[in-house]
Amino acid sequence: MTSSKIQALKRQKEIKHKKKKRQTPYAVLATTIALIIYLMLTNYHLHLSGFWIIGILLGVTMQRSRFCFAASFRDPIMVGSTSLLKAILIAFIISTVGFFIIQYRAVALNPEYLLTEIPGRLQPVGIHTALGAILFGTGMVVAGGCASGTLVRIGEGYIMQLVVLMGFVIGSTLGAKHFSFWDRILISEAPTIYLPDYLGFFPSLILQLLLLCVLYYIVDWYDKKNSIMATM
Amino acid sequence: MKLYDEIFKKPWPYWVGGIILAVLNVILLCTTDSLWKITSGFVYWGALGLEKLGYDSANWYYFSVYDNGLNEGETFLNNNYTVINIAVIVGALLAVLWANEFKWKRIKNRKQFFFALTGGILMGYGARLSFGCNIGAYFSAIPSFSLHGWIFAAFMFVGAWIGSKILFKYIL
Repeated sequence: MTSSKIQALKRQKEIKHKKKKRQTPYAVLATTIALIIYLMLTNYHLHLSGFWIIGILLGVTMQRSRFCFAASFRDPIMVGSTSLLKAILIAFIISTVGFFIIQYRAVALNPEYLLTEIPGRLQPVGIHTALGAILFGTGMVVAGGCASGTLVRIGEGYIMQLVVLMGFVIGSTLGAKHFSFWDRILISEAPTIYLPDYLGFFPSLILQLLLLCVLYYIVDWYDKKNSIMATM
Repeated sequence: MKLYDEIFKKPWPYWVGGIILAVLNVILLCTTDSLWKITSGFVYWGALGLEKLGYDSANWYYFSVYDNGLNEGETFLNNNYTVINIAVIVGALLAVLWANEFKWKRIKNRKQFFFALTGGILMGYGARLSFGCNIGAYFSAIPSFSLHGWIFAAFMFVGAWIGSKILFKYIL
């Protein structure tokens, strides 16, 4: 192709780009509605208002940074790129420290703690975890997005993710319906393993941070070796 | 205008996204004593649908164990999961609108529809077995020092590998 042709194509594209309608009025409208909902929640359901505002910030962040948990697992396998996985490891390092402070404080206030009283997400671990994770991982790659990515893409206007959401609701409800079966044969026997119970608080923190850093270096090395993006 | 472009037009680097998501999750735990979880809310929506159809879904065994039930004063529609899930959708919508990038994107063909639905069902069912999706059982679980987060991560890789094989075989 000659350079003049390329220039002409560029100009055409620019004209097309300018024709695109500005969406600022809709943006203002949607922002106003979101704020009104926030005010309503603070007045009537105060405890929900925090979820609303943090949810919006989560959505904005995921959309703006093109964050995708599914891609962080798929890309290393399919194209050898680990830049998303590295971002998630950084997130883990930060939230590990943050959660540690919150949990440590709770335990200091209540040294006779029960596992259910620890702030955070502690659940039984066992074969059901592995089974569920395999099903989830498979579905995530097949559907092209996980739960958070599905919600974000719905916001971006993808009709397909509405279908994923529909499947998600169907699958979740089926899983809940069959839960008594899985609980009987697997889950009720499984222990909840809270690492500080076994290793102590500070050793758990240091061990986990160390592990995350080591993983970061391995993943970084893997990217440099395998990523098809890096050689381009 | 330069700052506006920087924030709303250009994509943020992944690591910036990671840091903000982590900080938001810590703030959520700190202020609400709850964490970012998504799929438990999907169960509530499904149960709500079944309830409307006349089923007695509220009395399922699932809702009576492991803190799966609703808190005092909540309903299947009115609960923090519904609020945060819709908020994430709205947040993404606001971000694309301010960037002038909103566009309806249709489903290309029947195959895509089928894979979307199947993938969704697999994820939904799996998430019930493992107490959460890759947010509840991974992003919020590993920093909680619970072993199930690490196990979930390892086996999600196995699943992602299987999924990639399926993708190569049937879709690409």
